[in-house]
Amino acid sequence: MSDTERYAPALEVRDLTRAFGVRKALDGVTIDLPERAFLSIFGPNGAGKTTLVKVLTSLLNPTSGTAKVLGLDVVNDAVEMRQRIGLISHNPLLYPDLTAEENLLFFAEMYGIEKPHVRVAELLEAVELDHRKLDLARTFSRGMLQRLSIARALLHEPEVIFLDEPYSGLDPHAMDILDGLIAQIRARHTFVMISHDLDKGLELCTHALILAKGRVVLFEPREALDVARFRETYRATVGMGVA
Amino acid sequence: MASLSWRQFRAMLKKDIVMELRTKEMLMSMGLYSLLTMVVYFVALSQAGSAFDPRDIAAGLLWLAFIFTSMLGLNRSLVHEKDQGCLEALLLSPVDRPVIFFGKVTGNLIFLLAVEALTIPVFAFLFLQGETVEVSSLAFVPLVLLAGSIGIAGVGTLLATMSVNTSGKDFILAVLFIPLAYPLLLGTVTATGAAIVGGPDAMHAFWAGMAWVLGYDVIMLLASYGLYEFIVGA
Repeated sequence: MSDTERYAPALEVRDLTRAFGVRKALDGVTIDLPERAFLSIFGPNGAGKTTLVKVLTSLLNPTSGTAKVLGLDVVNDAVEMRQRIGLISHNPLLYPDLTAEENLLFFAEMYGIEKPHVRVAELLEAVELDHRKLDLARTFSRGMLQRLSIARALLHEPEVIFLDEPYSGLDPHAMDILDGLIAQIRARHTFVMISHDLDKGLELCTHALILAKGRVVLFEPREALDVARFRETYRATVGMGVA
Repeated sequence: MASLSWRQFRAMLKKDIVMELRTKEMLMSMGLYSLLTMVVYFVALSQAGSAFDPRDIAAGLLWLAFIFTSMLGLNRSLVHEKDQGCLEALLLSPVDRPVIFFGKVTGNLIFLLAVEALTIPVFAFLFLQGETVEVSSLAFVPLVLLAGSIGIAGVGTLLATMSVNTSGKDFILAVLFIPLAYPLLLGTVTATGAAIVGGPDAMHAFWAGMAWVLGYDVIMLLASYGLYEFIVGA
């Protein structure tokens, strides 16, 4: 039995288009991803990877087409959907003038988490920042900020986790922590990761997607993937330029 | 969901206040600008001698200063969110967009009122010393300050959200905000002027101005509430 048959779809994207003026950042994207899958998205700069994630996380509205995450429409059911997704970006998305603990407590309130202090303490320990919880985020290194950002994204135990180049700028220790956290929750969650690192992306994924000029160039389950052909296709898209 | 919205609103407000008390960026820039404006007014008008009654122009001077001062703070309040990508994290949380709007409006309102509370005694000291004012009508000034500031914070927050993504955000905010604030300015100046000058018709003029201000507040807050989701998702 394939993944698609075992689990309900985590992503159902149909003919999704997002335009900025006359330029189409996404152009007729259609993909299905089962729950608990790990989708790695590859493509050159400007291919539409971040736009796709922004539409799927309801940060941007689609121009046309539909997208559902866990069966919830990204436009009409956005508030309910946001309760069930998390985003780890290369940008930490944290307030520099709040302490690590204040940042997490703020987002815990935004997600309506019961016993926020307990959950925040758990996560600060998990990302090894409990000893720095009273320090302002602006005093943190890039790696520490990214660890705190991981804690922020996991606060509400999301079912689908979007990762936008999460390893970018991380030191080896922070990479290990992120790998460890992903491994811990891998079996129970769906992941959608944007990556420029082919080896890392292919190592983690159950499905691989190559976007170029806002269009799907390749979308296949990992088990059906011919890695040599995939690398060749990826190299060819890098020269295709932006949408 | 209503209680979650309330929790989210309180968390946003607390976060903005804690950050502002820590950095004092908005309060310092707005407060200093407002005080400097009073000094400039004083120097400029000191040449006029006793040719005019300062009470006649006091309301106009005050609200002009508040309008320009507010633009400094309005821009800063959204730049904080945008520069660090925090607005994205906020928009990712299961929060209704109007809760974000009202959280930001309330924060901006508090900071604006704080600056007004600092500015008015300075203004009174510089311009109204020795002038005859009716204490009974003067007591209505806080009412118009509150109503006028709600209008400024409401429209200003919406426009600051629109302009924060543009390259010339300060310019864009000013170009959009000043024409839209014009009707509010008419009402606030009328009401504040009536409260300062006093006289037999003062209350009539005051409430006429206040009706204008309150009408503006209701219309603009409702319009901003309706448009906010569209603007942050555009």
